[in-house]
Amino acid sequence: MLLETASKLTFHPSALALLLESSGKSLAHLNGVDILVIAVYFAIVIFIGFYLKGSTNTSEEFFMAGREMTAWIAGLSFVSANLGSLELMGWAGSAYQYGILATHWYWIGAIPAMLFLGIVMMPFYYISKTHSVPGYLHLRYGDGARALSAVSFAFMTVLMSGINMYSMAIVMKVVLGWNLNFSIWVSSITVALYVALGGLRSAIFNEVLQFLLIWLGALLVPILGLIEVGGWTNLRAQILQRLGSGEYVHMWSTLGHFHDNPMGVHWTGIVFGLGLVISFGYWTTDFLVVQRVLSAHNLRAARMAPIIGAGFKMAVPFIVILPGLLALSVLPFHLVGETQAVATGQHSYNEVLPLMLVRYCSPGLLGLGVTALIAGFMSGMAGNVSAFSTVWTYDLYGAFINKKATDKHYVSMGRWCTFVGVLISVGTAYLVQHAASIMDYVQALFSFFIAPLFGTVILGMLWKRATKAAGFWGLLAGTGTAVGLWAWVHFDPSALRYVALSADAKAMAEDMYRALWSWLVCVIVTIVVSYMTQPKKESELEGLVYGASRIPEERDEHWYQRPIVWAGVIAVLFVILNVIFW
Amino acid sequence: MREAMSIWFFAGVLFLLYGIIILAEGFWELSHPPANPPVLFNLHPSIWWGAMMTVAGLAYTVRFWPRVKR
Repeated sequence: MLLETASKLTFHPSALALLLESSGKSLAHLNGVDILVIAVYFAIVIFIGFYLKGSTNTSEEFFMAGREMTAWIAGLSFVSANLGSLELMGWAGSAYQYGILATHWYWIGAIPAMLFLGIVMMPFYYISKTHSVPGYLHLRYGDGARALSAVSFAFMTVLMSGINMYSMAIVMKVVLGWNLNFSIWVSSITVALYVALGGLRSAIFNEVLQFLLIWLGALLVPILGLIEVGGWTNLRAQILQRLGSGEYVHMWSTLGHFHDNPMGVHWTGIVFGLGLVISFGYWTTDFLVVQRVLSAHNLRAARMAPIIGAGFKMAVPFIVILPGLLALSVLPFHLVGETQAVATGQHSYNEVLPLMLVRYCSPGLLGLGVTALIAGFMSGMAGNVSAFSTVWTYDLYGAFINKKATDKHYVSMGRWCTFVGVLISVGTAYLVQHAASIMDYVQALFSFFIAPLFGTVILGMLWKRATKAAGFWGLLAGTGTAVGLWAWVHFDPSALRYVALSADAKAMAEDMYRALWSWLVCVIVTIVVSYMTQPKKESELEGLVYGASRIPEERDEHWYQRPIVWAGVIAVLFVILNVIFW
Repeated sequence: MREAMSIWFFAGVLFLLYGIIILAEGFWELSHPPANPPVLFNLHPSIWWGAMMTVAGLAYTVRFWPRVKR
């Protein structure tokens, strides 16, 4: 979610409300064939929920999909849980606004962390047999860190689901002219049905379908766009000619100073803030995505899943960033920011993806593109709701309220709290309808927890000396630092030059540096408190910490089946791509 | 008794249905072109995209069709 959060730095949720105001009429009109395409999707999604109900009778089946997923399914679901429609539209808009720099959020902002999760962290998550990230904190640090992490995650996840729901309703209103209430209720009832019936397995099935649909629906835009402009070389030349600046087509060469690039970021912020802290925090400790990998059927599959996910993640800019760049060349009008769009009636950056869909897609194909957007929103909601249901049932209800209930009771609790989660989401959606700025606050709030959580988890996994008290106080201090820095800049914008190290820094840089400082504070406090308190015995750390655990041996028939080999291949590709687009 | 339906079977069915719908629409558009055709309509993307989806969908549906358990 944090990368999604980052994406919303450009696609501000409250800006969505402006989007609504700016749209006099809808961007596209669907005909009968398009409606049929959308109806087929809804029918299949609901059928999957009913079909899988029979195979979700135990808590392990309902919350962990029976730990039966293959590496490919877990990997696609892992990357798909993050590939929401708001992210697609937001980053396509960012590509139009900032150029190819936006690709950093897909490459350095994801790939190293995903590979690290697969190679280094997954063995500890997997062999500890934890059901969740707060569950791992419980095993490693005890109930304090677990409670802090579970409460913040459950609360924020369900709010994020509501924001996702509201965002979808607005996009459907702007693109298709659909009624807000219709979109909110149809999507929420569908999600509640298929998650409550089929649990995580159903959510994962739908995420895989959504991933394929997004590619099917969005891939035509870059293909036809490249045909129209005459290939990548021509596209670069046209952008240079039209904008008179090379900064839109270079990823690294303009990051030497904050004012050399349109994002107002510095390479240290991208490498350390985004690449090290935000990205690692999100991809390795956000339970929404980690839950997908925990459903793998063995350790090898669990290690391969993030690596497979990384391979696909690296390809996503082709359907997100490239359409934004193509729009710079082919659209006959200029897109503007939300505020200006409201004032002048022009189209905004955030409408770039729907505009490109409408440009190239005739009936049927347009329905497919719209279905991809709907699927992205719904699976985002389903991901949030299923993760909420797991953390509530295992880490709050089962841990603190009713420890001795039967397995059947916990499954029933999971189903009911799926409905409750959806209802709270609907409530949130209506709340933000009347106070759109709440969305920005919720997004900011979510980002406060992820970076410090990464500090707590990574020290817990790699350092035997980290103690129970240190886990709790480190997490609390890191979170407090993030809140404090955010409030400082919020009430005194000039403080940005201290938080982000430069007066030229922009909001995006602030987010990166805030994450970096809060992570550092978390790590320092954890280390200091650890040396002041008594560590656990090594025997109690078996299966939880590097150096105190025996990792089960994996027997691959051939060298090329080893996860480390594939991680190496992805890493080499990652370096090559960054050099090509330097 | 049949095996459980796999995710790839669902994906195949979805691709196949979409492929047929879009392919049919593409052929219909040959004789009834839209009043406001999209850019590059002359390439008939509905036909080749729909055909590709139909073939992929058919292959996955057949390959992952739930078999009878022995």
